[in-house]
Amino acid sequence: MKRAFDWLQSRTGFRGARHALLDEPLPPGTGWFFTLGSVLLALLAVQLLTGAFLTLYYAPTPDHAYDSVRFIIGTVPGRLVRGLHHYGASFLVVALVLHMVRVVAFGSYKAPREATWLSGLALFGLVLAFSLTGYLLPWDQRAYWATVVTINIARLTPLGGDVVAGLLQGGAAIGALTLTRWYSFHVIFLPAGLVALIVLHLVLMRRHGISGPVRSHAGDATAFYPWQAARDTAVIAVVLVALCVFAWNGPPPLEGPADPSDSTYIPRPEWYFLGLFQLLKYFPGRWEVVGAMVVPGVVVALLVLLPWLDRGPSRDPRRRPLVVGAFAVGFAAVVGLTALGWRDRPQTAAAAQTWTLREIGGRRMSQASGCAKCHSPDGIADPLEAAPSTRGPEWLAGHVVDPEMIAPGLREPPAPAAEREVAAIVAYVRKLSRQAYPGFAAETETAATIYARHCIGCHVIDGEGGKDGPELSHIGAKRDLAYFTRLIADPEAVNPDAEMPGFRSRLSDADLKAIAAYLESRK
Amino acid sequence: MDWPPFPCAAGMAPGSQKGFAMHRRRALVLFVNSVVALIGGGLSAILGAFALRPYKGAEGRWVRAGALADLTPHVPVARVLAISRQDGWYRERARETVFLVWDGGKALHALSATCTHLGCQVRWDVAATRFRCPCHGGVFDAQGNVVSGPPPRPLARVEARVDGGEGVLVRL
Repeated sequence: MKRAFDWLQSRTGFRGARHALLDEPLPPGTGWFFTLGSVLLALLAVQLLTGAFLTLYYAPTPDHAYDSVRFIIGTVPGRLVRGLHHYGASFLVVALVLHMVRVVAFGSYKAPREATWLSGLALFGLVLAFSLTGYLLPWDQRAYWATVVTINIARLTPLGGDVVAGLLQGGAAIGALTLTRWYSFHVIFLPAGLVALIVLHLVLMRRHGISGPVRSHAGDATAFYPWQAARDTAVIAVVLVALCVFAWNGPPPLEGPADPSDSTYIPRPEWYFLGLFQLLKYFPGRWEVVGAMVVPGVVVALLVLLPWLDRGPSRDPRRRPLVVGAFAVGFAAVVGLTALGWRDRPQTAAAAQTWTLREIGGRRMSQASGCAKCHSPDGIADPLEAAPSTRGPEWLAGHVVDPEMIAPGLREPPAPAAEREVAAIVAYVRKLSRQAYPGFAAETETAATIYARHCIGCHVIDGEGGKDGPELSHIGAKRDLAYFTRLIADPEAVNPDAEMPGFRSRLSDADLKAIAAYLESRK
Repeated sequence: MDWPPFPCAAGMAPGSQKGFAMHRRRALVLFVNSVVALIGGGLSAILGAFALRPYKGAEGRWVRAGALADLTPHVPVARVLAISRQDGWYRERARETVFLVWDGGKALHALSATCTHLGCQVRWDVAATRFRCPCHGGVFDAQGNVVSGPPPRPLARVEARVDGGEGVLVRL
């Protein structure tokens, strides 16, 4: 063994490299606060590794991105790898902020380390760019709508905002060209810049040595390895275990596939952009640019200039009340804005409450229409409730009318047999792509099916339906079961002027009872 | 570059506790190396399992391949079948050629058109009543057995059955 290493040493001189890399002398008193840089390196390594492996399966096209991510999280290792990558980004941001707090508190940015500080700030910016571009890649609702907001913020850039937005968007709208572009940024350009900047940051750090504790301690310098390396390793181990706990317990979110036509979705940024998101709310209308560009721009400018604004020789935080105080105020402001943004986040309604009657009714109709002939576990297509559809409404309508047609749009479908059934099935399938079927009582399903087939043309319930007849959303508060039963069966017997047709011949007694009972329940 | 001088290990732990410091150094080296190995091993295990995700072959499905009435006894008939096949996250619409061979009575079998030599598609030579591979001259008889040429195995059999009345189904 030793001979082999001796041979390697004679050919490569690797022991010298190891000596240069690991035996860096550290000032006495260097302690636990100085482990954060190594934690960042470890987290970045995890991001680079897991990211590289995720590309084994990921496909950056609108047709396939969502499916490929679903495929990735379909197994335990896949869920873990995506979880490590997803939560790793959050861990990175936290570690970056802590590292920066340490540098500011210890005055480590002071001469001669200005360039190290600047390269660190650039690294911070790069990491945020990583998280922005990575956010789009799963191509789910969150991803899509957050990107819409991001690009619109970029459009606010004074002078040339449209150019910047066009550069980010790639095409005329957010779509295939945006996705490949952001993918390319995320996996090629940004990593290349990241590695270069990390090398620069480390070379500068070694060139000037680490700043060490604020007040000099007595004693000799110690080597990085293994004295400080042991501290680094201990903290890294704790952080990575915590990251694994996150990845194991909470699989990263994947919502329904991106749906540009969904007007009900409320975009939400990742938590570390919530502060910025909240700030925008205080600058409405034409002042928006102040929140989006001016305030963040001033903050960045102050950080860049910090080594020149604080030029006193002392690094002791107690002798720099102005800088430390200002930084603390700024830090508190960011934390406060983030907390406010977190509190203001829209409450997601209970799943069952977001289903409209038409969507519920579509389920029975899809069962009656024989969708399960193909969409079954051993059929030629996935079961409807197992695989969210990534198709648009026109495609779905064409497919429901003529299931043989697997490429609607290429030819006209035959005239729809029952337009309302098609609409209900399409509504149901599209809802499924966003949310699993929550399950409703059989009577509700029956009533919903009847409503979606017969009543929806003239009556509004929960904001959906025609306006020729009275709204029924709260009709149960006015009338009772017996009245509904008589009226629906034979309207003229109840009210001679009624325009509504009678349904006695079209509904079975059970159906009549179900819809009447449902209407009575609508208080 | 003007790196500061490197103190050697002995210089870093002066005094009478040198032996103790060396002992501690060894313990710390062991700690750092084993934790790094653990992290590396754990990550490698997860990433390895992820990269080597086992490929699950799709279950065969019965596909309609025409009617018995269209077949002539003992003459293989080529059928190009469109099948839907799950390829990872992608549902592929694949086309596959099989030969249906009917003995005129109850027995029906199907042969894959893929030559067992290097994967070219064989054709049925009506005059010679042989399958011929255009690539390297492999020849098979109507049962798919190798007659001459380089193919190492008979043509692959595909499960086939007659469905109730007259329909022919093959399992792909």
